[in-house]
Amino acid sequence: MVKKGVSRLYLALIFCFLYLPIAVLVVLSFNRSKSHVVWTGFTLDWYAECFRNQNIMSAFATTLEITFAAAVLSTIIGTLAAIGISAMKRRSRTIYLGATNIPLLNADIVTGISMMLLFVRFTNLGFVTVLIAHITFNIPYVILNVLPRLKQASRYTYEAALDLGAGPLYAFFKVTWPEILPGVFSGFLMAVTMSLDDFSITYFTKGAGINTLSTMLYAELRKGIRPELYALSTVLFFTVLLLLIAINLNSDKTPAPAAGKAVANKGAGLPDAPRPNGTAKQFVSSAKTRRAFYAKRAVCAVILVSLAVGSLAVLFSASPLISGGQTITVLNYGQYFDEDALRRFEEETGIRVNYEEYDDPEEMYTKYKAGAIDYDVICTSEYMIEKLIQEGEVLELDFSAIPNYAALDPNIIEMTSSYDPEHKYTVPYFYGTLGILYNTKLVDAEDVKSWDCLWNGKYAGSMIMTRSVRDAFAPALITLGYSINDTDKDHLLEALEILKDQNPDVSAYYVDETRDEMIAENAAIGVCYSGDAGEAMAENENLAYSIPEEGSNLWIDSWFMPKTCKNQEAVFRFLDYVCRDDVAQANFDYVYYTSPNRSVAAGMDAETRENEAVNPSEETIRRCEVFRALSDESAGLYNTLWQELISN
Amino acid sequence: MKNHLIDFIDISKSYDGNMVLDEFNLYVRENEFVTLLGPSGCGKTTTLRLLGGFETPDTGKILFDSEDITNMPPNERKLNTVFQKYSLFPHMTIAENIAFGLKIRKKSKSYINDKIKYALKLVNLEGFENRSTDSLSGGQQQRIAIARAIVNEPKVLLLDEPLGALDLKLRQNMQYELMRLKEELGITFLYVTHDQEEALTMSDTIVVMNQGYIQQIGTPEMIYNEPENAFVADFIGHSNIIDGIMIEDRLVEILGVRMPCVDEGFGTHTPVDVVIRPEDVELVKPEEGALSGEVVSLIFKGVHYELEVMANGYEWLVHTTEYVPVGSKVGIRVIPFNIQIMHKPESSDEKAVEIDE
Repeated sequence: MVKKGVSRLYLALIFCFLYLPIAVLVVLSFNRSKSHVVWTGFTLDWYAECFRNQNIMSAFATTLEITFAAAVLSTIIGTLAAIGISAMKRRSRTIYLGATNIPLLNADIVTGISMMLLFVRFTNLGFVTVLIAHITFNIPYVILNVLPRLKQASRYTYEAALDLGAGPLYAFFKVTWPEILPGVFSGFLMAVTMSLDDFSITYFTKGAGINTLSTMLYAELRKGIRPELYALSTVLFFTVLLLLIAINLNSDKTPAPAAGKAVANKGAGLPDAPRPNGTAKQFVSSAKTRRAFYAKRAVCAVILVSLAVGSLAVLFSASPLISGGQTITVLNYGQYFDEDALRRFEEETGIRVNYEEYDDPEEMYTKYKAGAIDYDVICTSEYMIEKLIQEGEVLELDFSAIPNYAALDPNIIEMTSSYDPEHKYTVPYFYGTLGILYNTKLVDAEDVKSWDCLWNGKYAGSMIMTRSVRDAFAPALITLGYSINDTDKDHLLEALEILKDQNPDVSAYYVDETRDEMIAENAAIGVCYSGDAGEAMAENENLAYSIPEEGSNLWIDSWFMPKTCKNQEAVFRFLDYVCRDDVAQANFDYVYYTSPNRSVAAGMDAETRENEAVNPSEETIRRCEVFRALSDESAGLYNTLWQELISN
Repeated sequence: MKNHLIDFIDISKSYDGNMVLDEFNLYVRENEFVTLLGPSGCGKTTTLRLLGGFETPDTGKILFDSEDITNMPPNERKLNTVFQKYSLFPHMTIAENIAFGLKIRKKSKSYINDKIKYALKLVNLEGFENRSTDSLSGGQQQRIAIARAIVNEPKVLLLDEPLGALDLKLRQNMQYELMRLKEELGITFLYVTHDQEEALTMSDTIVVMNQGYIQQIGTPEMIYNEPENAFVADFIGHSNIIDGIMIEDRLVEILGVRMPCVDEGFGTHTPVDVVIRPEDVELVKPEEGALSGEVVSLIFKGVHYELEVMANGYEWLVHTTEYVPVGSKVGIRVIPFNIQIMHKPESSDEKAVEIDE
């Protein structure tokens, strides 16, 4: 008894490990609260939101297009390959089968990267490259499903058909095809499942503006988990589950012959279930098993049909009805553009936008340099633009085609001189400062007027420093009286020394988490960007933001037009749109960083306008310095020193 | 003599460098029941597949009714094959299976229905039209395969060990049915088997093959009674094959004993193989035999006992209806007519081989 109980418990535990996470996800998708901890009631809102979300729906449509196109094509190619392989001699069959299985065993990421490299050599990444990649990794699954069927289908039946006067094609379709059909079918379903599921290969081979559900989910998750993503994941999970059930039902073999004693079942009146050749009447030895078999087939068919209908519905509802051939490819930081504003641009101009996102400037640089996608316009940080200008990658803008450029604050344009001295390459988009977010209940406002407060020991154990390398060194360099662009090794070592001294007092080095920690009042002081500070202050009125009087880093994110631009005129229209007052306002509302558009500040209420986190004063801006691009050598030095600091 | 219907002329065929048929020549006359008999790997099935069109020879040609069909695709040949097994189309009913060839020839519906009825009657499976193939026993399936072939009225029916998968009783019944069919249809049968009994029962002509060479062609009686070499002798039934020396015409020496025989023309003092069928060995009292020995084993076989007698250093295989206990001293006697003299083999192919089937 005890033994049995233990083994039951063991089994239950295993199932828990396997399915509990998914169960949690499913439950959370119905939770009214956004929290992942508290259950506040049942709702289907997240599903509604998920289906209303244009991003998700277009990714869904792309996924279905790619999945079904890839599955159909790979089924055709795979089946033909399987026929070829099965006709080979043993030796070459082993070799070819081994070769076709390599994509199956190869790490997805390797397959993805190598395909990307190959595609980039010949073409731009896009829908077609993803499709080709999916077909490629689907083919082995089809072959592996069809081959056993071919082996099982006796060679003699095909030869018998030839012998009876059938031509090779007729013999194949009349005799071999019905026998391998279940294998072809489960190969197809397998391909659908694999395509639906794939992330790595898609991620590397997709072009601008193409997102499948998995890559979209990944991009969205980086920005923070939202409940409609639970809903989406749940839908995805059950779709794959249904497909797997269909495959399993399908792979059950035809019932074994009722040996010898045959009960003629004429007139048993079988239901008209679908059958492979669909022509002849059905008389079988054992109606029951056959009926079960066809019932399974019917279930499969129903599942497939509903998937197909669903996909068509989504296709029609989600396909953008924008005509005209103009398209631009935009590369921007994640969550850095109001989606509605983006859509309005498309509607107003008829120019379709392929919108791509990235996380940090280094990633952007890699993406751009890979040359896989021809970007038309890119937004990134000042130092990265400086680097690209030095490399000759940036095209001059025609400001006469961007009349709304005049709406931008000349002070900010002046600040761009450090990287765009003649003001001919860039259009500022957002800017902000590095400063100290502090809790007024715990911190004396006088203290945070100087970076010294980070070193005076008063707030030991309650300070959060930034993990962004250059921003981490900036306060130390300023405190020592150096420029934040200093690259002198001795100066940097000095800075490292005082950072090391400070290290025991620091509770954590964070970037994105600083905001939440400060809102939760887990620390007294947090060094962070003004944008994060502004958001935190909106959530917790005990928080305030200070830019120390010694000065700080002023960062500016700007748009530039890279050499790969194919449609300059459309880019100018896009930049003009971005600079327009209402669009700047929409993006400000969405991002809540400081906009260089003067009308945005003008429209603020007095309190907000006074808030240095949201709207730094002219005087503050002058105190600050903009990061310059580092040479590779200096960047390496910074990294080495940083590693030395945090490995302590 | 009837015309040659099929001629194999200088056919060679090899797979991956393994010679399967070497300079193979054979003809088949109209309305003849010819059996290709031999151990597995002897080339008999290859011969059939060449004729069916599923393989092409490396060299040589095949004539059918004096027409060269060497490179004709299988679906254009006027012959049909009954395969070893599993050749029915599993997703079709029996009727659809039988109608397959006729539909391709665009025969009328009524013609096809008549043919199906006729063919099912011929193979004693009337009323099976709408059954599914997996509801049939192995024997029934093979009969349907035969029905499916003969409705096309082929000039030649090729059968590739069609009874191989069946049990003994069923196999014997089917043998009679095949012979009856041949009589009723008047078509030519080319039959492949490794079962010598099957070959002896049904054939007009037996072609004994080994390792790609024809060892002997002849009527069942000739093959059985006058094997041309040790291979044939050994393959057709179990025989005592003993090294001997032909002293002169009608006198042979085996195991140190000179025995009279009926063969002539082997010269004098020539080494030969001597074949004595186990049923031709007479057991007599020790002093009355040409040789004497001792019974070393005894097996009851139903119609007879199978004994092994050790005499003059050779283990004689003997079939007898009398019970002779192990250990008995016996004499061995063979009448001259039952001593078969053969030339020593010239190549290893003709040596007696172990048959592992």
